[in-house]
Amino acid sequence: MSSIGGVPFYILEFGDELVYFTPYTITLFLLALVFTVLVILSRPERQVDIAFGGDAYTTKQILKDEMRFRRFMSIACGLASMGAMVTGDIFNFTLFTAMVGITNVGIVAAVKSPHVQNAAYQYGLVALSATVPLFGAAAVYAASTGSLSMIELARGTLPAVPIIAKALLVIGVVGEGMAPFYAAKAEMFRAPGAPYVIMCSLSSLLIFLRVVEVVMLG
Amino acid sequence: MMWGEYSIGLLLVLVSGVIGFAALAIEIDDLHRLLLLDLVEISSLGIIALLGTDLAEALVLPGLTVGIAELLALSQIYITKERLKDKPVKGLNIEVIRKADAPVVISAFLVVYGLILSGFTGGGVAGLGLVFFFMSRGYQEDLNMLEMASGISWAIWIFAFFVFMFLPQYWFVALMCAAVGIVLKVTVKMSLVGTMWGEVRE
Repeated sequence: MSSIGGVPFYILEFGDELVYFTPYTITLFLLALVFTVLVILSRPERQVDIAFGGDAYTTKQILKDEMRFRRFMSIACGLASMGAMVTGDIFNFTLFTAMVGITNVGIVAAVKSPHVQNAAYQYGLVALSATVPLFGAAAVYAASTGSLSMIELARGTLPAVPIIAKALLVIGVVGEGMAPFYAAKAEMFRAPGAPYVIMCSLSSLLIFLRVVEVVMLG
Repeated sequence: MMWGEYSIGLLLVLVSGVIGFAALAIEIDDLHRLLLLDLVEISSLGIIALLGTDLAEALVLPGLTVGIAELLALSQIYITKERLKDKPVKGLNIEVIRKADAPVVISAFLVVYGLILSGFTGGGVAGLGLVFFFMSRGYQEDLNMLEMASGISWAIWIFAFFVFMFLPQYWFVALMCAAVGIVLKVTVKMSLVGTMWGEVRE
């Protein structure tokens, strides 16, 4: 098998669910893992507001309940990203991507600021509508090739994947928080608490790097 | 043939999806957009269901679950965003449903039919019956028993999986355990969804 990810050196077949590690996916997986551990260990940043034209500044307080909820959501987001990095099944990949979208909303949902709440809601609407092309892509993959397994697709013995399926997959991933829809997400980053908010960006970045590999299969 | 049944179905679903997205683009009210999104979501389930195989059934369920999870998360944010927390809602206040005997008959029918179907679908149907019953009666009760039943039936389901894996010769017992476990689990979970909405939790 030759693909952008290189030769897989480990394939775990668990029924029809399969997981495989190539040099490419294992790098992304380790990145997600390291960052999840960092999120577990680190304390949240306390945002500082400086009053313009003076020396006065205030530090925002983060309540313990809020912090714990956001940490939980960040860990869930890390786990979903890890799953998306190593899965060898198109449908599981789309499910993990959708889950990253939900947890991204969850990370900022506990913040009380109305700006952040509103942005999270608008982003959530985009993420929810992005599941339509995502699941649609997986269904068209299954309908046109008869398989959802990335290993099977990479062998090249199956019928070619129609370009529309690949396009839908990319649109779906983009909708979960990439380039043109990023505007709503940027507003979300006004939420205080650095390591958790960065998890939103990192997970979308990882998912995008993985979808590049997925699209090149079959 | 160029236009098979699959292609026609796909075209119909895509057209309905496009109509949904157009409505979404026109609508500006946040709550209405959330409701429209639920409608659009159904077209994605339609694309999956068009596969028409066992695989499609297995894929529709997680797709539906993810959709419901996102919808629940977004409605929670909507409630906080619009500060609706101060206005608690207690059940559906529809007088016609509340006074008549029809809800009892309909929900009893749904529960019995669900038990006959068994498995995931049966759980869904029976759960729907219970949701309807609780919603029409404005049921107020301690939900711990229901939650416990849900947990135990889940344990039965997992136990059945272990039997499948380690003692495959007893597959029939395991199949029955799994079917009963999942029907109870889904029924109870759905009825909890039906009763726990809108209540204020201390």
